[in-house]
Amino acid sequence: MFEYIQIVFSFEALLTIAIGTVAGVAIGGMPGLTATMAVGLLVPFTYTMDPTMGLMLLGGIYCGAMYGGSIPAILLNTPGTPAAVATAIEGYPMSKQGRGALALKVSVTASFVGGTFSVMILLLFAPFLARQALAFGPAETFLLALMGLAGIVSIADENSSLIKALIAGLIGMIIAVIGTDDMSGSLRYTMGMIELIDGIDFMPALIGLFSMIQMLELAGAHSHAIDTSLIDKQNKREPMPKGISKHIALGSGTGTLIGILPGEGATIAAFISYNFSKRISKVRELFGKGNPEGIAAAEAGNNGCVGGSLVPTLTLGIPGNSVAAALMGAFIIHGMIPGPELFNEYADRTYPFIISMFVANGVFLIVGLTFAPYLARIALIPPAIMVPVVSAFAVLGSYALNNAVFDVYMMIGFALGGLVLKKLGFSLEALILGLILGPIAEGGFTQGMIIGHGSPMIFFESSIAKVMWVIIGVLLIPPLYSYLKSKRT
Amino acid sequence: MFKKSLLAGIVLSLGLSTAVQAGEYPSKAITIVVPSKAGGSTDRTARLFTELAEKNYEGFEFVIKHIPGSGGQKGFEAIARAKADGYTIGLNFTPQLVAHIVSKRAKYTLDSFHVMGNVAQDPGIVAVPKDSKIMNMVDLAAAAKAGSLTVAVNGIGSDDFLAAKSFEAAAGVEFNLLPTKGSTEQKAGVLGGHVDAAFMNLSQMIKQHKAGDARIISLLTEERDSHLPEMATSKEQGFDVQMRATRGFVAPAGIDAAIQGQLDDMLTAIMASDEFKANAAKGNIFLLPQSGADYLAYLKGLQADTQAVYDKAPW
Repeated sequence: MFEYIQIVFSFEALLTIAIGTVAGVAIGGMPGLTATMAVGLLVPFTYTMDPTMGLMLLGGIYCGAMYGGSIPAILLNTPGTPAAVATAIEGYPMSKQGRGALALKVSVTASFVGGTFSVMILLLFAPFLARQALAFGPAETFLLALMGLAGIVSIADENSSLIKALIAGLIGMIIAVIGTDDMSGSLRYTMGMIELIDGIDFMPALIGLFSMIQMLELAGAHSHAIDTSLIDKQNKREPMPKGISKHIALGSGTGTLIGILPGEGATIAAFISYNFSKRISKVRELFGKGNPEGIAAAEAGNNGCVGGSLVPTLTLGIPGNSVAAALMGAFIIHGMIPGPELFNEYADRTYPFIISMFVANGVFLIVGLTFAPYLARIALIPPAIMVPVVSAFAVLGSYALNNAVFDVYMMIGFALGGLVLKKLGFSLEALILGLILGPIAEGGFTQGMIIGHGSPMIFFESSIAKVMWVIIGVLLIPPLYSYLKSKRT
Repeated sequence: MFKKSLLAGIVLSLGLSTAVQAGEYPSKAITIVVPSKAGGSTDRTARLFTELAEKNYEGFEFVIKHIPGSGGQKGFEAIARAKADGYTIGLNFTPQLVAHIVSKRAKYTLDSFHVMGNVAQDPGIVAVPKDSKIMNMVDLAAAAKAGSLTVAVNGIGSDDFLAAKSFEAAAGVEFNLLPTKGSTEQKAGVLGGHVDAAFMNLSQMIKQHKAGDARIISLLTEERDSHLPEMATSKEQGFDVQMRATRGFVAPAGIDAAIQGQLDDMLTAIMASDEFKANAAKGNIFLLPQSGADYLAYLKGLQADTQAVYDKAPW
């Protein structure tokens, strides 16, 4: 093990990791640029690099991008990745109160702890855990998506109408119906447009619903959303909130566990962690109004996915999410086919790669903590400069996803439709959650029904499924109870 | 190279402008359309080619443009639509290229392309969980007759789907077919024992088979494959089911013959080089070099076979 550590701590390797991580933070922070895209595009370029260095570069990007998504989420209410939507719910209100620097500090610390914990798990228990995760089938995937969707209730129950949040979630799921039905191969509501065959991409939706709407609202305001005097007062190093470590730990564990399971991990992980943290919080009424506990859980949750998603990727060749799939391409291009060989024949590349991710987490922690007070001032940039710059990025980012102008129109469509819904009091967070998790739930449900030969009992049979039903109950029943009680009085 | 193409241009005597054009070719970078995501196997096949082409042919520069989604259809259409000036070529993969034609979704036909040649292939296989009682194709047919088997295929209209349908017809059975989104879900289904079998491709399962995490029970190719020589084909086991994925180069139809000839020759020469073979082996890409004419004949045959399946059970 010592020789592997030595490889990582050579000057060349450290520089590579640092470059990858910082680039990752920037990529994650810009709307439309995703870690999947960055890793995918860079894989061919690592072809000519030393394999170990190439993998370290990509690992750094993955770690950095997952954290980077939280920065604009907190400062501008424009999450760079869907996994940072939960962060925006708590982070942006904190920014408005002038506590942006603290929110950034909480986010980077939680990201660091979540990321480091998950890499530790990857290093120590990967083969064992990957085998356990195989028991997780389509039926359980359906239940996991339900757990994520329970987040809609959590978004709603304190500040806005539960019914409106549920309707917004449903609108998201209905939009997600467009595209190819995977079970029959038939096309649903594509209106003969080839661009719709794959369904609605959630990235243009994310950019439209958050970045663009935020800019439209900002353009309508006379001055910044934030009271300048607050920032200078609060900037005097507000200490980390007490009891936050509990929420970070909760998020790290949840995120790592969900990351190991196959499927779209980080978004579900962030929302489930956020939801858990709300349930155990002593100051539940502050959620939605700028509670650092929510940021801590969500960010630890999505960064926990990084190490977690690599567990099945490296040991079994089953990538835990789309970034891990792109990363797997990099391993294959260097002749390292995932499986036991990675840990014996290619141990001198695989272990340094894993260890390098500890360094990557350290790099973004240092960068994040150092720059938090300065980054917080981004929120002070006048709308006249901010709006055109972010809007330009929104258009470019939408186009860059698939090199398609269609996605730009889609993004603008979501911005206009979303603005109307937002003004009417519908939660856009619920909408995006429905849009992302709807197809996962549908896929798990239909596949489960096929495997069960048409019997829904498959959703209740395994012991994992039973535990998940209990958790879903715990997440749903208390809010329902308090909702009914408030209706009666 | 310069002289040869100039000469060819004049011999064709399609006017001075063509001659000049051919002589100066290439005056800018050539775009290669890859109809899938960056980092995937089609992308890697393209990069294998461009790496050597740029190194060995002076003046040639390539830009890879990814047009992912809709099972390659968007990308195939972009190639068919591209200006036939020799500055846009692309990769195709089967059976999706012909499946889109058969299902009447494509805005192209095989005539829209000049087929340059095939590069890579991936044999179809049948895989079962490691502790399954099914040891071969005879067992599979018997088990499917005894009770409904859940069999994973990568989406409707994919090579796996067509192979499974072909086996159903050959063995007189009917599977409980489970379409998945991508081979990852199939892999997870087999390794986790959630399905009874899966029709997949060799490169996706060969390592898991060798590691003992899953079991391949047959190859769906004409002959045995050098990567897994002990594995019997389905045909040997009594069921004539054949399916392989192929990945080759196509260009929009109508490119100046001199320019097209230059590109075709380049592809043939590069595929014959030892360096290309070594790089492909390292990248887990199985080569199957085929000339344009041979590959076109294969595509036509495949389209007819796919049509037969579609007519029986359209999707």
